[in-house]
Order: sequence, then structure tokens, then C-alpha cells
Amino acid sequence: MKKKAHHARWLSLSFRHGLLLLLSALWLLPVIWLLLCSFGIDKGPNIRSFFPEGYTLRHYQDLLGRQDSVSQFPRWFLNSLIIAVFNCVISSVFVLSTAYCMSCMRFPLRKPLMHIAIILNLFPGFLAMIAVYSVMKRLGLTDGNTGLIIIYSATSGLSYLVAKGFFDTIPRSLRESATIEGATEAIIFQKIILPLSRPIIVYTVISAFLAPWTDFIFANIMLPSKISAQKTVALGLYSMVSRVNINEYFARFCAGGVLVSIPISILFVIMQKFYVEGITGGAVKG
Amino acid sequence: MKKLLVLLAAVVLIGVLITSAVTDEKIQLLVWVGDDADQEWIEGVIDGFQQADPDHQFQIRVGIVPEPDAKIAILQDPTASADVFTFAHDQILELYGAGALQEIVMNSEAVINANGGKNAGAIQAAMMNDRLYAYPATADNGYFMFYNKEYFSEEDILTLDRMLEIAAQNGKYFSYDLDAAWYLYSFFAGAGLQLEMQADQSNLCNWNAADTEITGVQVAQAILDIAAHPGFINQSDAEFIAGIKDGSVIAGVNGAWNARAAQEAWGENYAAAKLPLFTVAGQQRQMASFAGYKLVGVNAYSANVGHAMRFAEYMTNYESQMKRFELRGQGPSNMQAASSPAVMADPAIAALTAQDAYAQAQNVGPNYWAPADTFGAIMAAGNPEGTDLQALLDQMVAGITAPVQ
Amino acid sequence: MNTLGNRGFRKALVLPMSIGKGFRNIFISIARFFSSLFHQIAAGDLWVKSSLLLCGMGYFGRRQYGKGILATLLQLAALCLFPVFFLPYLRKFDTLGDVERQTIFNPETLKNEVNAFDDSFQILLFGVVGILFLFACLILYVKNISWVSALQKKAEEGKHINSLREDFSSLFHEKFHITLLSLPVICVVVFSVVPLLVMILAGFTNFDRFHFPPARLFTWVGLDNFHALFESSLTATFGYSFRKILLWTLIWAFLATFTNYYGGILLALFINHRQTRFKKFWRTAFVIPIAVPQFVSLLLVRNFFANTGIVNTLFSQWGVTDFFRNLGLISSGAAYIPFLTDPNWAKAMIILINMWVGIPYMMLLSTGVLMNIPGDLLESAQIDGANAFQRFRKITMPYIRFVTGPYLVSSLIGNINNFNIIYLLTNDIYVTSDQLLANSNAREVDLLVTWLYRLTQDFNNYKMASVLGMAIFLICAGFTLLTFSRMNQGNKEETFQ
Repeated sequence: MKKKAHHARWLSLSFRHGLLLLLSALWLLPVIWLLLCSFGIDKGPNIRSFFPEGYTLRHYQDLLGRQDSVSQFPRWFLNSLIIAVFNCVISSVFVLSTAYCMSCMRFPLRKPLMHIAIILNLFPGFLAMIAVYSVMKRLGLTDGNTGLIIIYSATSGLSYLVAKGFFDTIPRSLRESATIEGATEAIIFQKIILPLSRPIIVYTVISAFLAPWTDFIFANIMLPSKISAQKTVALGLYSMVSRVNINEYFARFCAGGVLVSIPISILFVIMQKFYVEGITGGAVKG
Repeated sequence: MKKLLVLLAAVVLIGVLITSAVTDEKIQLLVWVGDDADQEWIEGVIDGFQQADPDHQFQIRVGIVPEPDAKIAILQDPTASADVFTFAHDQILELYGAGALQEIVMNSEAVINANGGKNAGAIQAAMMNDRLYAYPATADNGYFMFYNKEYFSEEDILTLDRMLEIAAQNGKYFSYDLDAAWYLYSFFAGAGLQLEMQADQSNLCNWNAADTEITGVQVAQAILDIAAHPGFINQSDAEFIAGIKDGSVIAGVNGAWNARAAQEAWGENYAAAKLPLFTVAGQQRQMASFAGYKLVGVNAYSANVGHAMRFAEYMTNYESQMKRFELRGQGPSNMQAASSPAVMADPAIAALTAQDAYAQAQNVGPNYWAPADTFGAIMAAGNPEGTDLQALLDQMVAGITAPVQ
Repeated sequence: MNTLGNRGFRKALVLPMSIGKGFRNIFISIARFFSSLFHQIAAGDLWVKSSLLLCGMGYFGRRQYGKGILATLLQLAALCLFPVFFLPYLRKFDTLGDVERQTIFNPETLKNEVNAFDDSFQILLFGVVGILFLFACLILYVKNISWVSALQKKAEEGKHINSLREDFSSLFHEKFHITLLSLPVICVVVFSVVPLLVMILAGFTNFDRFHFPPARLFTWVGLDNFHALFESSLTATFGYSFRKILLWTLIWAFLATFTNYYGGILLALFINHRQTRFKKFWRTAFVIPIAVPQFVSLLLVRNFFANTGIVNTLFSQWGVTDFFRNLGLISSGAAYIPFLTDPNWAKAMIILINMWVGIPYMMLLSTGVLMNIPGDLLESAQIDGANAFQRFRKITMPYIRFVTGPYLVSSLIGNINNFNIIYLLTNDIYVTSDQLLANSNAREVDLLVTWLYRLTQDFNNYKMASVLGMAIFLICAGFTLLTFSRMNQGNKEETFQ
């Protein structure tokens, strides 16, 4: 009797773990293929067999060491890094400031501004693209990093909702007692709200840092000269798998994909942790 | 908060500094070429151009924009894109329509004469309303047949039926891009049906005709039969190259830009020829084709439009075209270059010349492409919904002949 | 990465409802505002009345010199700027210009000589900016009067009048929101509001590749484009395409949202089950694929499933291709499985690949939620004799649904606009096999948003893109309002708070 129960338990255990193994293999398969292609000897996509016939580091060497008019990976990386750092600073300031005003302060235009933000968020961003480009051109900011920094960070104030949701959970009594002690709003924001908001600050900072690494649409629009050295990582890698280039550059695309994925995935995992903490924690507390 | 404000101010300041780059008095030109393999060639052209004109100081930057995508990249904002750019000649209509092409007013007579005079295909392709709007760069942008001599004899390659049979016997494929309007043309034009652009850019098309010697339905049926043959595979450009490399494709229809890749893969066995005959309504008909040219255009909004024209002319002159042939195997449009012994001996170019008799200059309006692509896709999939062929043809022709708004 | 948060979103949903109510009150408040304005002017002293002419006067009269100078300078700047910069555009706003661009090449200078042409797009853009500028100036002008009259009142009552220094320090206290919000709001106006207004107005013009400035002019055409969206002939097929693509967009949005939602919850429950060992390891295995940026992973997957890709090679070696052919899932002549090139296959693949992308997100989120379930709830249920399944159905699931409800709504809207998956998987390789879709540059697998993007980028058809953009807006707004009212009805919030 006892043995039978043990047997059933063992069966369900192995079924459970077998299924998980199968599913995770399915999920990891493309990632493994990415690694294999980046180390395989083929320049184009290897379509003969899953595992390449030989392994080499050449694609990584080419990507980092040998620049040509299509592949300029180190420059792209630098461009993306510059844009990401600036966007990270500006966007975070915008998002946190807006969230603070909407959550903790009361002023006549608060509601109308929030309505407008919701309405704006419901329009597809691409619609405005060409007009945004036109404005940037008038300002002389196309074909360069500055323009992209502005594009990514300028409207970031509109995505304040997550941070506001978090600020809403911070007890009002904290702020009220500080006001009684004579603290100004600026000091409350700086000394009380921000130190209590670590998860949401980390989340905001990292997501602002990550956004420029993955966008290729605005990066393309804002680069009418199409000069390779001015591309970002996403746009550059994207151009490597265009119809004309794929047979020559696919392996280098994979190598580049691996190289950018490492830092991005680390940040991403951290961000996810804080995101879940921020929103689920808030919901229960509130 | 103050710290943040200070940081923000610093950010803005640095941003301003970055943008206010130093400008010097060099003449700036931006040139787009089709792919990275052109890099060595274009650098040689730039050096040569600078040496030929020591009076001016040029700063010429190079961007890579694939020729088929040039139109999209230019029309995104003609006022900020390249001064000189290479494009496939089927885009001239739209580039011209958007006012992006500068009329070639410097030395146009000489350019026309060097490329074989007003009636030469290359010049026709570069003209709009009897005026020259681009410089012909290559005359090899049409298509022909590649095959592997290991499998096919000189006899076999005359008919498509025989080639498909051999491919099927060997478990290999004959590759063709059926869902591309550009290649689909071969069958209908080969069967004697009509497609022509009219003055208002709309098309005249009778591919759905039921009263011609060979009817539209018969052509469609012939295409369906070919597509369903086990020796046939419908492949895009990149897939064709991949197929050649892995050995699954032993013959196919494609262009000179892939000739080098095929040569590398097949080595000694690489050969090229005109398109074969195909069976339609029980007859053998020669497959037709579009003749294709690569053109170099000058941006009408270029700040240095004169120098841009001079550079484009230099980029497409005899020496540059010869150099391009040597480096990349691309067939010259320049008459003197085209008739040189080295060029004449090239198998791809010989094949194009042989196909020339059955090739038409691509004189079609903008509404041709999407409907024909789609018709080709339905044929390639074997008409899965079993729609009446006449109805399919009627729909396609309605789209092709729709008025241009 | 979805950035709409849980609580913020819940509150955000309340707002659109109050918009309707707001409209009723607007007229009343406008009337009130003007009556009080006239009253203020009538009751104003010389300083207030002279402020009508020179905005700074009211401040000079109360010894607020700094503010007075500032107001006067702003007024002068606006008076100079408007006629010089905006008026030329506004004058042509009704026709959007009538002089076409013409150039003559000058062989002497090697440059083109251009006539004084009109650029319709610039006229539209700066016309909109000019109108907004005019509005802002008018509002400030009127507001200024009530400010100076408030000053007058204060002076008459002998109250303290702020010095410039005090005004400045108030910017860090009761007016701190002005400090914080000015820059973000200005940026949003310049880079979001103005561009959106311009492109919405483009929907009422014939702005397309045949009317493409600066070479050609475009002009107002009224509601023609809206008619085109609902009408269909054999050649002008926007109506047909719109219906078809709208339907697929909605099917996609629901399927994508719910497969990911329940898939993610199931996976999270499975991994977090007490019998499962190495929980962290499994979680990491599922997170790695989504940590790779989408443009890398999706472009890779697209080559993975290409017609001559590795999956097809392996499947035909293993006989899977033949198996499918015998089942009739692919046509008898096909040498490969058209994963991403056949309409039905592509749609199914897109949804499957989207599950590959989305389930790990939901798994992470619901893992967090599961850990937060109040333990005493489950315990007391256990004491009451509820079995595991009952506990899941009565407590766990409602709890997850409560906490992630707003996320579900926002991801539905996110999926309606899910550009990346469709674009990266099908751009350049998918050719439509529907002639009527082809005539309006649409494809079976397109969502409204990818159609919109291709219309602008590849076909320069801005007029129809604008109309589509408005349609997307209406759909998303509809869903937002609908879910809000649903949430208010079934208010179960008390259960868990």
C-alpha cells in the first residue's frame, strides 16, 4: 500500500519534471540556435543541419575587429550606449516628476492633464512619426544621437502611470507630518518619496535605459542619410539581415545578437523583479 | 532635485555641443551604393574623381542602401537623403513622380551616346517624357537562367519541361521566384499577351483575355502545372543562393547580381543561358523577360547638384563600369565597355545577351506590381481555394489596370 | 515590456468617464469666466486697465518690477513672433499653398535656382503650431488680467504682495508642480500633441505619394478618405481590406491576450507547485528567451521557420512534411511547409510564436502574485475542508484575476497595437494571396497598426494612414471605456483589501 503510493508519487514527479524539461527545451531551442549560428562556420543561415559542421570565433572577431560599410558594430554599440545613458537620465526625471505631481500634489490642471495623457496614449505612435521627424529636421537634429535622445525621452512623461500607482501607496500621513514640520514640496519629494520608492525607481531607470537598445523604427526614420556609422545597435543588426545582406552577414548578426543580449538580459531580469515587486506589492498594500 | 536639474542642464548643453559640429569648406556629397561588395569599387571611384578635379575639395561619404530599397529610403525625405544614389530602374517612375530626380542637364548628349543612343534600352529606362533623369550604370539587371552542368546537357536546357524532369529525377529543384511580379511576366509575355503603360501611368493589360491565340486561363494553367511539378521550387533571391550552396537547387532563374555566388558554389559546372521554352496550351513558347538596368540618380534637392551630377557621370563612365565589371562581374551599359572582349566572354552577360531578343524594356505603371505578386503567390501555392482561374485573372487585371489616383 | 501599471491603470480608467460630464460644465464655466472677466476690468483701476494694452502695467503698479518686465517682454516677443513667423503659414492654411516648386539649373554656380514655392506640409505643420501659439497667447493674456486684478484686490485690502524672491521660492513649494511639469509638458506638446494634430488633419487632405511635398502640393479634400475607408469597388478596396484586417486584429488581440494570460498562469502554478524541484532553474530557463531583445529573437525565429530554413530541412528529413502533406495541411506539390508565407499557417505560427514570447512574462507576473496570496485565506479554506482544486477555483484564481485584471486590459490594447511580432516575422517575406487586399497594400497577416506603418513607410500614403490611426484610436478608446464600466459593476475589490 505504502509502496503503491510511493510509486504514484514518483510517477507524478517524473511526469511533472519531464513536461517542464520538454517545455523549457522548446523555449530555449531558438536561443541555442542563436549561439550555434554565431559560433558556426557558415556566414549565412545554416540550413543543412541543426549543429554546424565546425566551430569558429571568426564572426565575433569580424564583428568587433573588421569594419566595413555594413558592419560597424563597435560604433553602433557606442551610439546606443550614449543614447541609452542620456535617455535614462532624462526619462527618469520626467517620469518621476510627472508621477509625483499627479500622485501627491493637487492643482487645477491635474485632471485635464491626466485626461490628455490617456487620450494621447491611445493613438498609435507611428501615426505621428513623419511629423515628429519634420519637427526634428527643422531643429537640425536628424542624423545624430541628439535627435534620438530627444525622441525617446521627450514624451516619456506620458508613461508615468506605473510610478504614480506606486507613489499612491505611500501613506499620506508621512507627507502631512513633514508639511507640518515645515518641509517644502521639493524636500518631501527628495527626502521622503524618492527614498521609499526604490523598486519603482530601479524599474523606471532600467526600462528607460533599455528602450533605445531595441527600437529600430524611430532609429531608421531619424537617419535619412543611412550612414552605417551613425546607426544604433538595433538598426545596424536589422540591416544585416535584409534581403541583400543576409547571406553574407547572418552569422555576424547572431554574434551581435549574443553580445547585446548579455548585458540587456541581466538588466531585464533585474527590472522584471522590481516591476513585479512594484505592482503586486502595491496592489496588496493599497 | 537640484542635482537632477543640474544634470539635466548638463545633458542639454552637451547635446548642443555634439550637434554643433565643425563645418569646413569642402564640398559635401553623400553617395548610396547597393551593398558592401561595392565598397572597394566606390572608394576607387571617389579617389579617381578627386584626382581628376584638383580645383575642388570634396568630402564624399558612402552609405549602403540596397538598390531595391532605394525608393523607400529616398522618399522618406528626399530633401535629406543621398545626393547620388543607385537604384533599380523600375523605381524611376515613382522617384520622378515625387520630384526626387534631378533632370540630367550637364553633358546629357555625351551620356546618351556613350550608352548607345536614344533608342538603347538603358537610355530608354533612364528617360521620362523624353528627358534624361538618371545615368545608366549597368545593363545586367534583367534575369536569365543559371544551371549546373553536372546535371544538364546543352540540349536539356532548351525546354523547361525537360529541366524540371531532370531536377525531379535527382531529387533536386529548379528554382523560380513565382510570387514576384517581375518574374511572373515571363509566362504571360512569352505567351504573347500584352502589358503596357499608358500616358497617365495606368496599365493596358489583357492577361485575362479569352479571345487571344493563347488565352489567359491557359497561361495560368501552365503556371499551375509548373508550380506543382516535384522538380519545381518557388524561392526568393536569398533562398535561391542558399539552395545553390546546399546543393538542393541545380538550376534557376535569377539575375547577374547572384552570378558570382553561383560561380563560387558550382565552380567548373557553373553555366548560364537564356530562359527555356515552356509548355502552354500544348505549344512550346519562349519565356520572355524584363530587361533591367541599374541607374544612378541625382537628388533634385542636393545642395551641390552640379557636382553631384559630375560625380554621377564619373561613377558611370567607361572606366568605372569596367572596374565594376572586374570587381563584381556586373554587366556594363556603356557601349564601349559592353563590347570589350573580357565582358563578352562572361557567361552571365552572354546569357543576358542571348535573352535580349526576348526581353522587353520594363514599361509598366505602378499598379502592376502588387496584383501580379499576389497572383504569383496564389499560383505558387497551387490555387489552394480552387478559385476559377478566369476569376483570378479578372481580379488581377482589374488591379493592374486600375487608374492611378 | 508593458509599462502600464496595475493601480495606476485602474485609476486611469476612471478618467475618461468624467470627460463626458466635463463637457456639460465647460459651457457654464466659460460663461462664468467671461462675466467675471468683464467685472474685473470694469472694477479695475488705471493699472489694471492699462494692462489691457501693456501686460506688465498691472505689476509695475504694485512694485513687482521683475514680473512686470517679464510680462512686457513676453508680450512684445509674442507680438513680433506671430506676424513674422506664423502669419505667412496661416494665410495659406485654407488652401495649403498654390505655388508649385520649380527649379532651373544654373551651369555657372552648379546649383539649382528655386522659385518661392509653397510646401504644403510645412504650411500644415506651422499652421497648427501657429494656431496653438495664438490660443496660448490669448489664454495668457486673459489670465494676466485676472492676475493683475487679484493683485489690485490684495493691494486694496492691504495684504502682503509677494516679492520676486518669494514667487521664486514658491516654485519649490506650493507651485512645485510648475517646476516639475513645465519641461515634460512642453516636450509632450511639441513632440506628441502637435505631430498628432498635424497627422490627424492629414486625414482630411490628399497627402500621398502623388501629392508629395515639397515637389508637389496637397490640399484639403474633406471627408473623401473616410468614405474610402468604408467603400469598396474592384480597384479601390480600402473598405474590404479595412473590414478584413479589423477582424483579424480583434481575433489576434483576444487570442494573443488570453493564450498568454492563461498559459502564463498555468506555467506559474506548475513551476510553483510544492512538488516541483529546482524552481529557480525552471524559471530562469523560461526567462532567458524573452531577455533577448525582440528584434534579435524574432528575426532569428523567422529564419528558423523560413521556407528553406532549418526547421523545414529537419521536418522533411524526419518525414513530418510528408505527414502534413498527407493530412492535407499543405498542398500536394509543396516541397516545404509554408510556416510564414501561407495565410493560415502564418496566422497560426504568429500566435504560437507570440506565446513563446508572452507566456514567460505572464509567468513572472503571476509568480509574484501567487507569492502574495494572503496565507490565512488559504489556510482557513483548508480548515473548512476545501480540496486543492476548490481552493484554486475559489481563492487562487479570483485573486490572480483581481490583481492582474488591469494588466489584462492593458495587454489587450497592447496587442491591438502589437507591431513587433507581426512586422519582424512577416515583413519582406509574406506576399498576400488576396487580390483585393493587394490593391490597398494590405496583407492577411497585417494588424491595423502594421498596415498603417507600411502605408506610411513603403507607400507614402499618409492620408489613409491618418484615417486608420483614428480608427485604431477609437477602438482602443472603446475598449478602455468598456472595461472600465465592467469593472465598476463587478466590484469585488473589498474581498481582498
